Amino acid sequence: MEYALEIKNLRKKYGNEKLVLNNLDLSVPGGTIFGLIGPNGAGKSTIIGILTGLLSLDEGEVTIGDLPLNNKNELKIKKKIASVLQPPLLFENFTSYEFLTYVCEMYGITDEQLNDRINSLLTYFEIEEFSYVKATQLSSGSRKKLAFCAAVLTEPEILFLDEPFESVDVISIGRMKSLLRRMRNKGCTIFITSHILEVVENLCDDIAILYEGKILAYLDAKTRSELEKDVTLSEIFERYVKVHDVGEDLLNWL
Amino acid sequence: MLSRLLYLNWKFFLARLSRFQSLVIAGYTIFLLIMLFNLMGTALVVIFLDSTPQYEIDLPWLTPEIHQLILITFANVFWILHFAFTSTRLLNIDENRKLLAYGYPSGRLSFHLNLMSMYHPVNVIYNLTWIVFLSVQISSGLNILWILLAVLINYGIIYSIKHRFLQLMEKRFKVIVFSILFIIFGTIQAFAIISRQTQAWLGDLSLQLAEIINFMYYLPGGLLFWSATVETDPIHTAIFLAIAIPAALFIFRDHYRKTLEGLLNPAVKKVEKDVSKLLAFLKKWLGPNAGKFYYYVMIHPYNRLQLLAIILIPIVYIPLLLHLEYGLISAILIPTMLAAVPVALLAICMANMFGYENRELLLHMQFPVSFEKQLKERFLGIIAIPLLIFYGITIFEITRLPEIGPVFDIYIANTFFFLCFMVVFLWSSFYQFQKASYKSFSFKHPIIPQKVTFTISFAIIILGYTIFVPLGDLQSYRLWVMIFLIGAICTYLWKNFEVLVTLYQKKILGRLWNML
Repeated sequence: MEYALEIKNLRKKYGNEKLVLNNLDLSVPGGTIFGLIGPNGAGKSTIIGILTGLLSLDEGEVTIGDLPLNNKNELKIKKKIASVLQPPLLFENFTSYEFLTYVCEMYGITDEQLNDRINSLLTYFEIEEFSYVKATQLSSGSRKKLAFCAAVLTEPEILFLDEPFESVDVISIGRMKSLLRRMRNKGCTIFITSHILEVVENLCDDIAILYEGKILAYLDAKTRSELEKDVTLSEIFERYVKVHDVGEDLLNWL
Repeated sequence: MLSRLLYLNWKFFLARLSRFQSLVIAGYTIFLLIMLFNLMGTALVVIFLDSTPQYEIDLPWLTPEIHQLILITFANVFWILHFAFTSTRLLNIDENRKLLAYGYPSGRLSFHLNLMSMYHPVNVIYNLTWIVFLSVQISSGLNILWILLAVLINYGIIYSIKHRFLQLMEKRFKVIVFSILFIIFGTIQAFAIISRQTQAWLGDLSLQLAEIINFMYYLPGGLLFWSATVETDPIHTAIFLAIAIPAALFIFRDHYRKTLEGLLNPAVKKVEKDVSKLLAFLKKWLGPNAGKFYYYVMIHPYNRLQLLAIILIPIVYIPLLLHLEYGLISAILIPTMLAAVPVALLAICMANMFGYENRELLLHMQFPVSFEKQLKERFLGIIAIPLLIFYGITIFEITRLPEIGPVFDIYIANTFFFLCFMVVFLWSSFYQFQKASYKSFSFKHPIIPQKVTFTISFAIIILGYTIFVPLGDLQSYRLWVMIFLIGAICTYLWKNFEVLVTLYQKKILGRLWNML
């Protein structure tokens, strides 16, 4: 099997705090939609930060595509990937159109079809009326959609999405999912982290559960099909992640 | 409930008060106290002037009219200070609004906020100073009532005017800024004309003193002064109270309503379409990274104001200094002021190089273009325009102001001046990074941290004096020292250009990652 992404013994900590990622191993097959779920503070955003070159790793090996993540391959890897972080990164004083054009220029995309592509994406997500409005004036949902458009425009081989559906309306979530499936079918690997388990369950081919900096379970399509039909991802999640039984008695006063 | 509100606001106050700002507030209080005691001293001199013949011998010019002029001028200047430093932002509406979600009744919150604002240290300092200053000069016991009400109404009016002024400022920013600068320019030129014909003007002034004092009585500070000195009786006092008390109630009702309105209607930014071609122009000529950075610098409202000031100061002062007989002061001030123009432009761009974009820089790091290349482009773009101005000014000095010194000396001195500040700004960008605020009237400096502004101001004066003061025979030694230092700075920067990236990763990146 060809992996789009391989992580071995990854360790990361911030300053003198405890390890955020603790000897993490993970392999994501190419051309799949992969979902990483875990409670708050599990290390999901840190993984995306490392994979997108924003954070350094303390120990371990990371391979993206067929390239080891290091200074030498940095630019080659960056050409292959795109990301949407949480909160999304936009150029606050640029209009939506200026922002998307700028991003494409930085990726060297300057073909004649660019304007049409930008317009079609803005129309698809129903934010074309904000084409000439500065990002700072957009609602949080529109900001997320604009960041998503920028990531998609660069036609990445691997797309990293950190909580992509947060603050986005139901109709746009549906469109985003449809677009992601289309990209997956064209060979793009999509790496998603999300708290919304229903969306992950419905959209992702493979799912991993991250807890305290380690992968506790990896559920590929085969494993998931073998599970009992009426078991939800939420129940599987609770099986693996220690849910402390604090007891309802605590709230008897309510 | 009020005690919780007070506690919360005390926490806000402490949370945003750095050690440096505490010092500034302490220094400012001491300054006001010193001013108050000086003033009381002057007031006592004035009061006892008539009864002490010694004063008439020692200070023959200190006639009762001149005394009155000093006091009433002080009252008006103090009123301007009061107006400038009392801020509606002291209400901290954005933070306190959150209390509405926790069941704080809106009307009561508005009332309590206004009450708290009145007892804010800044307002207490001013109002107390007014009461003490005016109380020293009362004509009779009844004037106390006049003073108390006048100070209360004055405080209320300042708040109301300021609230409306800020609203107007947002809508008519350019017109107001140009008008203010025009007035300042006109006033300075008027003073220049007067100063050149001092004798004639002073002669006229002495004749018109009574009229000037009379006019100043009608200015806000003068009216307050009048409330203390007016000779009154119970009937007039009763009439005054009958008018002033409803007026005060009316003003404070206005505060209450405006605060309530502000609490319930947070400012919503109007969605406006933007079709500026400036960005495309800058990107074309400076490159995508430097072009974007300059665009951010140029659209920042505070920078436009600073830019106007930078242009205006030399335009006003240099012709004035040239009119004076060329001496030591001119020899230092003119070149310092001219050398400071490109340095000030450099400060706007470089002293907080990452503060305009903040988290956006993470996106730059994800682009498939070397981040070092992007930072270098930005750095070179930043110094390009100030350098052009630097050369323009140097050529101007060489051709139009030959009295400043030999061509080579001017060039070396200006280069040294520019390079020294470039190093200071680089240090500031990495070690004094702060998110640039769009507030222009808050006590916190919107772009460059206060300590950097202070450092720059002092350094300009000290370095200007060191470089430009005529040294006679020792001049050549100073020239060689400067040449050596220029060489050292250039060599260091050239050999350590990657310092831009390493310092960014060490000092800035972590903060951006955690910034929301």
